[in-house]
Amino acid sequence: MSWHMPTTVDEVLRLKASKPDATVVAGGTFLGLVIRQGLLDSDEWISLQNVDELRAFGTAGDLSAGAMVTHRRIETEPAVRRDWPGVAEAFGVVASPRVRNVATIGGVLADADYASDPPAMLVASRAVAEVASVRGMRRVPIEELIVGHYETELDDDEIITRVLVPRPTGSAAYRKLRTRSREDRPAVSVAAVRETGGVRVVVGAVSDRPRHYPDICAEWRPGDEQSTREVAAAYADRIPCLDDGRGSAEYRRQVVSVEVRRALMQVSR
Amino acid sequence: MKITLSVNDRSVDVDVAPSTMLVDVLRDELGITSARATCGVGLCGTCTVLLDGRPVSSCLLMAPLAIGKRITTVEGLPDDDAVVRCFSERHAFQCGFCIPGMVLTARDMIDTGRANTPEEIREGLGGNLCRCGCYVKIVDAIEEAAR
Ligand SMILES: Cc1cc2nc3c(=O)[nH]c(=O)nc-3n(C[C@H](O)[C@H](O)[C@H](O)COP(=O)(O)OP(=O)(O)OC[C@H]3O[C@@H](n4cnc5c(N)ncnc54)[C@H](O)[C@@H]3O)c2cc1C
Ligand code: FES
Ligand code: FES
Repeated sequence: MSWHMPTTVDEVLRLKASKPDATVVAGGTFLGLVIRQGLLDSDEWISLQNVDELRAFGTAGDLSAGAMVTHRRIETEPAVRRDWPGVAEAFGVVASPRVRNVATIGGVLADADYASDPPAMLVASRAVAEVASVRGMRRVPIEELIVGHYETELDDDEIITRVLVPRPTGSAAYRKLRTRSREDRPAVSVAAVRETGGVRVVVGAVSDRPRHYPDICAEWRPGDEQSTREVAAAYADRIPCLDDGRGSAEYRRQVVSVEVRRALMQVSR
Repeated sequence: MKITLSVNDRSVDVDVAPSTMLVDVLRDELGITSARATCGVGLCGTCTVLLDGRPVSSCLLMAPLAIGKRITTVEGLPDDDAVVRCFSERHAFQCGFCIPGMVLTARDMIDTGRANTPEEIREGLGGNLCRCGCYVKIVDAIEEAAR
């Protein structure tokens, strides 16, 4: 059994290439859960805890967050709250401060849990992940990174190294509906981000991955109540909603139509 | 694997599997029983410890992730800690089971300036459950400690 603690990205990538079955550990909150439930044990662990490069953080141009930047950092950083308020909001409503103090932006994207908050907002904000392996680096829009239930399009030897979020040109709203308790995951989440000439509406937590329909968004006229209702109804209609302990498919469809409308009203101003 | 942890300013060596959670190391290896695994899934807060001063759920924290960090449990707070004193003076507990987690969460809220109003305190305690329902007194105690 080994716990590797590399200190550079290069070292991580070499390890990952030579041990494709090794489990990468970031904050360990998702892994802690699956280990406790007996769903995972591993002989080889590659911990990112000592890789300082992955904690790099910048807000000068794009928001640039190394994979090991915590939810709490993104939520509380004054520049993010000022210039990317929608992003700060979506990270700030995750679980409790105890989880946000350790959970990382790389971890939440790599675990691709359908009931997470940040992915919907990152898709709506046109965020891009930098993904690296010994074979090189590529950039993958978050919209393409998460492909299904707990499934990303990362290859076995790849890790997420950084996430880039462009500077918003319009307002943003993030709405999270919880059905059980304050620190619960969302039953329905809606991210809406205005940009020149339109809006990006992304609905999370109701199906296998965040859902974004540009053709429906194109029908929206800011401030117009009729088109707002129509967009909301079209989202509710098109998304294949799932049933789970947080709500039935039928309930979710209903809530999607309400929450999309509210999110659009919030970004109308 | 053998790892060295810093617990309440004491350096300790333990031999654990990487998948051992910190709460089990504290309780079973070190005899520190104030951190309690209850839900075991990060929701209730009874296993809260401070890692470099910030609260985390030790029921979900793989022990090697705490290497190189300061781990603090209530046993490691100074004798005259204001939060402990206010909980005690205001009898902000019944059975006491949830209190170590409440105290450490409060410590962080006060240290980071997030305990300014009762609303803010309630918000900050969102992930800490008290089965005895002592929330009113707990919020009062934290409000007083923050002054
Ligand atoms: C009690 C509780 C409540 C929660 N509530 C919410 C909620 O309300 N909303 C929400 O959005 N989320 C919630 N979560 C989920 C939480 O946000 C995720 O568990 C967390 O973001 C995962 O990040 P991590 O750094 O802990 O990942 P880890 O557990 O370390 O890793 C997660 C997965 O990603 C892989 N991985 C990690 N980093 C990388 C990388 N850089 N490159 C490639 N692969 C990588 C790991 O191998 C693992 O498979 C909750 C979790 C808990 C425990
Ligand atoms: S036991 Fe860890 S949060 Fe409940
Ligand atoms: S005092 Fe009994 S659980 Fe809180």
